[in-house]
Amino acid sequence: MNALALKNLETDDLLPPRRAANAYLTEIRYELTRTLRNPALAIPMMVLPVGLYLLFAVLLFGDAIAKDPAVGIFFFAGFAVLGVTMPALFTISSSLAVEREMGLMKLKRAQPAPAGGWLVAKLTAGVLFSALAYLPMAVAAVVTGKLPLSGMQVAAMSAALIAGTIPFCALGLMVGALVKGSAAPGYANLIYLPGCYLSGLFFPLPQSMHWQTALWPQFHVSQLAMHAAGLQKFQFIPVTMAVATLIGFTALFSAVALWRLARKG
Amino acid sequence: MNPNENRLHALDAVRGFALLLGVAFHAALSFMPGWPPGIWAMVDNSPSQFLSDAGFVTHIFRMSLFFFIAGFFGRLLFHKLGAAGFWANRAKRIAVPLVIGWVVLFPLIMWVWSLGLAKIFNGHVPPMPEFPKTAGAFPLTHLWFLYELLILYVGVLALRALVVRVDRARKLSCLVDVLVEESIRRRIAVFTLAIPLAGALLTLPMWFYWQGIPTPDMSLIPALPSTTGFATAFIFGWLVNRSAGALSAISRGWFAHLVLGILATGWLLHTLHASPMAQPGLTKTLFALLFGVAVWGWVLGLTGAALRFLSNYSAARRYVADASYWIYLAHLPVVAAFQVWVGHWPLHWSLKYPLILVASFAVLFLSYHLLVRPTFIAQLLNGRRYPLRKPKQAPAVAADSAAIAPVARDARAPVAELRSITKKFGTTVALAGVDIDLKPGELLALLGPNGAGKTTAISLWLGLTEPDSGEVTLLGGSPLEVQRRRGLGVMMQEVELYKELKVRELVALASSYYRDPMPLEETLRRAGITALADKPYGKLSGGQKRQAQFAVAICGRPRVLFLDEPSVGLDVQAREVLWLNVRILLAEGCSIVLTTHYLEEAEALASRVAVLARGRVIAQGSVDEMRALVARRHISCETALDADLVKQWPGVLEAHRRGPRLNLVATDAEAVVRRLLTEDPGLRRLEVREAGLNEAFNELTREAA
Repeated sequence: MNALALKNLETDDLLPPRRAANAYLTEIRYELTRTLRNPALAIPMMVLPVGLYLLFAVLLFGDAIAKDPAVGIFFFAGFAVLGVTMPALFTISSSLAVEREMGLMKLKRAQPAPAGGWLVAKLTAGVLFSALAYLPMAVAAVVTGKLPLSGMQVAAMSAALIAGTIPFCALGLMVGALVKGSAAPGYANLIYLPGCYLSGLFFPLPQSMHWQTALWPQFHVSQLAMHAAGLQKFQFIPVTMAVATLIGFTALFSAVALWRLARKG
Repeated sequence: MNPNENRLHALDAVRGFALLLGVAFHAALSFMPGWPPGIWAMVDNSPSQFLSDAGFVTHIFRMSLFFFIAGFFGRLLFHKLGAAGFWANRAKRIAVPLVIGWVVLFPLIMWVWSLGLAKIFNGHVPPMPEFPKTAGAFPLTHLWFLYELLILYVGVLALRALVVRVDRARKLSCLVDVLVEESIRRRIAVFTLAIPLAGALLTLPMWFYWQGIPTPDMSLIPALPSTTGFATAFIFGWLVNRSAGALSAISRGWFAHLVLGILATGWLLHTLHASPMAQPGLTKTLFALLFGVAVWGWVLGLTGAALRFLSNYSAARRYVADASYWIYLAHLPVVAAFQVWVGHWPLHWSLKYPLILVASFAVLFLSYHLLVRPTFIAQLLNGRRYPLRKPKQAPAVAADSAAIAPVARDARAPVAELRSITKKFGTTVALAGVDIDLKPGELLALLGPNGAGKTTAISLWLGLTEPDSGEVTLLGGSPLEVQRRRGLGVMMQEVELYKELKVRELVALASSYYRDPMPLEETLRRAGITALADKPYGKLSGGQKRQAQFAVAICGRPRVLFLDEPSVGLDVQAREVLWLNVRILLAEGCSIVLTTHYLEEAEALASRVAVLARGRVIAQGSVDEMRALVARRHISCETALDADLVKQWPGVLEAHRRGPRLNLVATDAEAVVRRLLTEDPGLRRLEVREAGLNEAFNELTREAA
């Protein structure tokens, strides 16, 4: 009986496809459930970007935008980058750091969890939450007429922004893999906030500071958005360059994260 | 049993991969941009920079990888068969294929080449350069690697004979073993091994970077760069086979080594694009050094990755690995013929190259399956043949890993084993030479004080850590393989589950990992937490959390269950439920490893007990044997009775006199005391002390030390 069972183990290497798909889907479903049940994290991520955008683009600089539509697109792109990248970075970094601290990553490695299931779940959740944070902004911008673009351009820009969250998911993985649970939001801010200003997301930078913008992933995501919107005034690097750099950032951050997780769990 | 046995599957796979990669490499050579006509059988009308770069990358490491594995299996074979047997075997497997292969293949290759050249030059083939008339010049074709292999066997065995003669005290050998293992562990090997190859490459007066190590296929006289590079690989493979911990070190370093290899390769490609021909100077030196780093980064990285992920037996991989030798020997005329055929088709290379690959592999695998596998050719090349029409074969034996018998698995074979395990964390030795096995249907209790190595032992079985040396098996394979772990359930110490999820959801999540989990409600019922099912985990009490973790552990109907301190924090009632469940699981045939501080827990449940202390198994046996070991009591009194005489009494284990006092260790203290008082009425100051579990551990540890 036992020998027979061992033999089966050898031949039945893989889960049947339906069960394997189910394992991934279950993982994703509960990752989403968990994030939604954590209002302390979920609400600020959803409300803050759209609130800020309305404050700046409608109340404070409404007139400037009325004069030059390009300024409106610039504002929208800046706040949209903030809106999509924050949920990706902060939910992933803090949840991963806390899970590591609780020993959950270790348990997952011991259990026959599907390969990379947790990773797929975290990435999906990161991208979905970014999309959720982005949607009200996009609606607000279109409704208030601050985004003078064609439907195709809005769609392209939205797609570019949502795809731009992936490097920030990877950054979140890296931070979550390196630091403790309670310290994760702090470190994430430390990396994230300077980049928002130094990449010139919210106001154009003086020439003397242009050399360092390429160091920040935010800059490259905003460049993607500018190319998608066809706004030549704010296109500083070719789109291929921005894509390649973002892929490079993603690879670097994920490599550090996976290396660290493999060593420390 | 050789602890490396399981790993040989992985190394066989690597060798097969290196050989098949050679086929893919040659299939790309008709697409090289800028190659003058006549160098290869065909110049395709759709050249590809991508295939040129990919070809360069694979060519960096594929032959070094092959020779590294050949060195490893070379030593294995030499020690298995002895010198005479080794040479007889090598003559059959290497020399005969070299000679016969050349005689058959050379005319075929020439014929395909002439067809190709006629096509390239539209029928007006210009006179080809004369074959050089220097001493030893000979067109070995792609079979040069067999010739090189024979030379390396001769050279290395001569060197070995010399070392054995000089190094009688084996000091040198031990030093080399340590150096090999440590240099891999500290990632220095990648750099030190690069140096000899780099030195030899720098001597080349004309060096096209793309060619890497120039292929020694035109002469019987060994060339310096190829001989240096491949001998380094071969000898290092030989030494890795010698060294006990080297394979583990390679396995653990796979990622770092691959990253090093890829980074170095990136720089090489970049430099190669800037200037394809070496100019004397810093760039050439750097290119040679980083080429060496790339070679060894790839070799150690790929070998490590295979050890890490492909150590289990797979019938498909076994078949491909067996076929790879024949396929590599026979591939060149086939591949070249397809290249010539499709060369002028008006199609993009991204269609033609895959077509050539698929067609060549189809012909080659088919020829292997029909003409080689069932015939004397397989007997010659791989050491055994397989009848064409027969159902499943037993796990077969590789070409050189020869005669590694499949492990017999009877019903009483252990479901989980630790064999000669050593594991260090920094300078702390967590486990030192530990052997433990878990038999089907038993509960093994691991006892021991904190820091004894219990959790490390469990972590090894769970695949969370890897041993420095020794072998870990779970359900007949490595616990690093997910299909093995699909048979386990685990309850770990100091693990919290997702606090936002409800108990029901946690169990559902864990159940999704298994092939055939219990229905959710049954899991909850068995763990006694049906009432808690809709409570979030974060709102449970400590004991309830442990119950939820137990549910997660049993939901997949595990065949092996690991319970690390399961009853910590449980109240009496919850502990009773846990024990009852454990008994039910045992009755159902599940095997369980339990670590605990509580002796009574082990007594209540265990069929066998192993006591760990300071990383060693200091006692192992049935519960009764352990109880006897621990139930010793110390008796001390002032008496005139003779120590030697008392030692003869039943129930007395030890008796020593110190001044007026007689100190005894006894299993049956009451009877001994009664007899003491009867035999010496003047006895005074009697003391009886229980030897606690801790004391027993300490005492055993002292004895073990």
